[in-house]
Amino acid sequence: MGTKEEAQGTLSSTDFGVAASAFILNWNTVCSSFPPWTWVLSHHQVEGYLSLENVLLSSTQEEHSELSFPEAGKHSHQEDPIDVDDATLVHTNPCKVHYYDLHIIYCNSYRVPVLYFRAYDSDGEPLEFDEIEKDLPAYSKKALSDSKWTFITQEEHPYLNRPWYKLHPCGTSEWMKLLFHADDALAKTGVAIELYLVAWLSVVGHVVGLRIPFEMMKQL
Amino acid sequence: MASESIVVFAQFQSAVDEGFWHRFSSLKLNKLGIDDSPIPITGFYAPCSHPQVSNHLTLLAESLPSESNEQSSTAATSGGNRNRCPVPGILYNTNTIESFHALDKKSLLKAEAKKIWDDIHTGKAVEDSAVLSRFLLISFADLKKWTFHYWFAFPALVLDPPATLVDLRRASQYFSLEEAKSVSAACNEWRNSSLTADVPFFLVCVDPNSLATVKHIKDWETCQSDGNKLLFGFYDPCHLPNNPGWPLRNFLALISVRWNLKSVRFLCYRENRGFADLGLSLVGEALITVPQGRAAKTGNGLGWRDHQCLPNAVGWEQNKGRQVSRCISLAKSMDPTRLAISAADLNLKLMRWRALPSLNLNALSSMKCLLLGAGTLGCQVARMLMAWGVRKITLVDNGRVAMSNPLRQSLYTLDDCLNGGEYKATAAVKSLGRIFPAVDAEGVVMAIPMPGHPVPSQEEDNVLEDCRRLHDLVDSHDAVFLLTDTRESRWLPTLLCANTNKITITAALGFDSFLVMRHGAGPFSSNDERQRLGCYFCSDVVAPIDSTANRTLDQQCTVTRPGLAPIASALAVELLVGILHHPQGIFADGELANSSNSGSCEQPLGVLPHQIRGSLSQFSQMTLVGQSSNSCTACSSTVVSEYQERGMEFIIQAINHPTYLEDLTGLTELMKSASSFQLDWDNDDDDDDCIEI
Ligand SMILES: [Zn+2]
Repeated sequence: MGTKEEAQGTLSSTDFGVAASAFILNWNTVCSSFPPWTWVLSHHQVEGYLSLENVLLSSTQEEHSELSFPEAGKHSHQEDPIDVDDATLVHTNPCKVHYYDLHIIYCNSYRVPVLYFRAYDSDGEPLEFDEIEKDLPAYSKKALSDSKWTFITQEEHPYLNRPWYKLHPCGTSEWMKLLFHADDALAKTGVAIELYLVAWLSVVGHVVGLRIPFEMMKQL
Repeated sequence: MASESIVVFAQFQSAVDEGFWHRFSSLKLNKLGIDDSPIPITGFYAPCSHPQVSNHLTLLAESLPSESNEQSSTAATSGGNRNRCPVPGILYNTNTIESFHALDKKSLLKAEAKKIWDDIHTGKAVEDSAVLSRFLLISFADLKKWTFHYWFAFPALVLDPPATLVDLRRASQYFSLEEAKSVSAACNEWRNSSLTADVPFFLVCVDPNSLATVKHIKDWETCQSDGNKLLFGFYDPCHLPNNPGWPLRNFLALISVRWNLKSVRFLCYRENRGFADLGLSLVGEALITVPQGRAAKTGNGLGWRDHQCLPNAVGWEQNKGRQVSRCISLAKSMDPTRLAISAADLNLKLMRWRALPSLNLNALSSMKCLLLGAGTLGCQVARMLMAWGVRKITLVDNGRVAMSNPLRQSLYTLDDCLNGGEYKATAAVKSLGRIFPAVDAEGVVMAIPMPGHPVPSQEEDNVLEDCRRLHDLVDSHDAVFLLTDTRESRWLPTLLCANTNKITITAALGFDSFLVMRHGAGPFSSNDERQRLGCYFCSDVVAPIDSTANRTLDQQCTVTRPGLAPIASALAVELLVGILHHPQGIFADGELANSSNSGSCEQPLGVLPHQIRGSLSQFSQMTLVGQSSNSCTACSSTVVSEYQERGMEFIIQAINHPTYLEDLTGLTELMKSASSFQLDWDNDDDDDDCIEI
C-alpha cells in the first residue's frame, strides 16, 4: 500500500484488485468450511467486485414446523383441480429463512471498498429494511443508531443497476486511518494491502452480522 | 394396502430472484411486446446445503435470454458452477390476468411431461440428465404496477402403482466408515470438477474394497460387476430426513424404462458448507412394479417401455400448502417515482447524518410554501425548496412563458413558449413534476392586486375576488415568498402575511445588486416588548443599521445580470431553512455575520440575518437589520387593524385612492415611488423581457 493512501485510510483501485484476490485466497483456504467469496467480472471484463451470495446469516432462525408436520398432498384442500398424488410431499410450512447477498465494490470517489447487500426470503422476495433490521444482532442496531461511521442507505448497485442497501462509505477512510494508526507497529512498518480488506470487513461485516473467521483475524 | 411404505417425494420449491423480473420486464418492454410465445429459460439448483433448509430451484436474471441477440450472456451460465446446476424450463407469459387464470394448466403440464418422457425414451436424458428436472413457469407481468403473478410446475411422471420404500436411512448409517470416507471423497471430486459439478444425476459405485467412484449414468453398463454396490445418486434439494427430493421421481422413471430395474438403490446427495454430508444425505431402496395402469388397457403388455403410452404427470407447486399462484410486487425497486423519492430522502438524511444532526426533515417536508411570481426568482426558489425536501409548493403568476424566458427561468423550455406561450403557473407545475414526481405543486393563474392602480368599477368584483383568493392562499400556507417584479405588487401580500403572521421572505433584484430579507412577525402576533423586525416596506422609511447600503432595488423595470437571480433565490430559501430551525422561528432577532450579537444562540445552520444585500459589481454581500416602522404602509398596526376591521373595503380604497394609505400612515414615499414606476409600467406593459425579472 502506498504510504500516502495508507495515511489517508484509503486504497487505490489497483490495490483493491490485489487485496481482493488475496482476500479470496485467504478466506477460501483458511476457512474452507465457509461459503466462498468469488470475484465477479463486470460486463466489460475490466472491473469487478467481490461476491458472497445466498448466505443464511441470521441467527434468529425459528424452529421449523415443517419437520414435525410433514403432510401428504392428499390432505391439502384444493383451490384448483390440480393433480397431487399420494407420492407428493407438500411443504406446508415453508421455513422462514432469510438469505443475504454481500458484494464488496470499490468506490472511486471515496477510494475505499463499500459493502452492498440485500436480503430475500426463500421465495426470492426482497426484504424491506425493517425486516432486515430484525435480523441484525443487537450490537449492530446500536452501532447503526449511534455511530458516525455506519449509515445504511439504499442505492443503485453500480453493476446490477438495481437498488441495493449499502453502508455509506463517507466515514470509511476515517476509521480505517484510526484502525491502522492505533497500532504503532503497523504504523511503522506499513500495512500490507492484503490486510486492508480483512481489517475493513472485520468492522463492516459486524454491522450485517457477518463474522470474520478467527483464523483470518489472527493475521492482523 | 401398503400405502404407508410408498416413496413420498418432497416437492421442488421455487425461488425467483428480483433480477429475473427486472430483466424480464425490460425484455418485455424492449423486445417481446405483446408476443406471448413461450420462452425457453434456465433454472438453477444445487444440492441441499443446510440441515434445516431445502434448496430451491432459482430463477436469476441469467435465466432469461439476453436482450441483445448476442449469446455472450450464456457464458455466465455455462462453465460448471457447482451452485448453479442449470435446468431447462419454459415460460408462458400472458398479457392479461384473465388469460393467466385461463391457461390450461393440465395440458401445459402434460406437454412438458411429454418432453421428459420423450427424452427418456430417446436416451437424451441419459446424455444430459438435467432435462429430467425440466420445469414450467406461467406468469402475468403487470408492468404498470410492477407486480408479477406466477406459478411453477415441476412435472413428475407418476409411477402406477407407486414405488414402494424398502429402506431409507442416513447415508452415514448405510455405508461403512471406510466406504463413507471414499464416497465423500469421490462425490467431492465430482462436485469440484468443472466438467461434472453441474451434472445432477450420477452413479456411485463402491467396490468390495470400499473404494467408491462416481460415474456418469450413461456408464451404467460398465458398472455391472459382482460385488459392487451400485447407487443411483442425484443432487437432492430437499433437507428432510424421511423424504427424497423431487428429482428422484423422473430418475426412477428413467431407470425403470431404460434398464428395467425392479429394485433401485438411490443416494439423495446433500451437502453442508460445500462438502458431501453423509449424515444429511440419504440412502434408500425402492421397488418399482412394472406399471400396468393404462398400458394394460392398450393391451400391448409393454407397460412403461411403450413410448406411446405417456404416464400421468403431477407437479404444480403449492403455495403454502394451497393450490394458488403466487404474486410478488417489486414497485419498491422498479417504480421510478418511489426510487426518486427514496434517493431524495437519502440525500437529506445523509446531510443530517454527516453534518446537521438537528436537521428537521419533517418540518421541511410538511411545510407549505406559497411563491408569488414564477419568473426567474420563482423558478429558482421552487427548485431550491425541492432540494431541501419541501414537497408542497404553490406558484402564483398570471404571465405566459415568452421566448426570452427559458434562458433565465429555469423551469421552462422552448416548448412552453409556443402557440402564445403556456401560463407560467401551469408550465412551472408540470416542470416541477418532471424534475421530481413526488412534488405536490399547484399553479394559480392570478394577478396580484396593487395599490395605486385604480380599477374600473366593472372590474372591481374580479379584483376583490383575487384579493380574497390571495387571502385564502396566504392563510393556507406556512411560508410566503414575494418574488414578483414590482414593488407595489408586494404590498398586499405583505399586509396579508403580517395579518396572519406568516413567515415571509422577499427577494428583489436590481441590475447587479439584490436584497433578500425575511419580514418580521405581524404587529399583533406577540406581546413581546422587543421591537419587531421590519418588512420590505418598513426598510423604506427606516434607515437600515448600515446606511451605506441603501441602494434602491427593483423600483424600475430593469434587466439584471443573469447570475443574480440564482444567488438571491438560493439565499431566500436558505433563509427560510434558517427560520425553520431557529428556536424562535419568525420571532428570531436579526443577526449579523461576524459580529458580536450573532453569538447569542449559536445555531447549527449559522447566523440568521434579517436582510442580505449583495452586489455583483463588488462580488460582495452584507447582512443588515432593520426594525419595523410604526408608520409602515404594509405591516404597521394601523394598517393591519384597518384591514382587520374593514377588510375588502379597505383594500379597494387603497387600490383606488392613491392618497389613502398616505393619509392613513402619514407617508408619501410609497405613492411617490408608485407614481414614478407607473410610467415605466405602462410603457413596458407588453415587453415581457423587461417586466419579468
Ligand atoms: Zn413594514
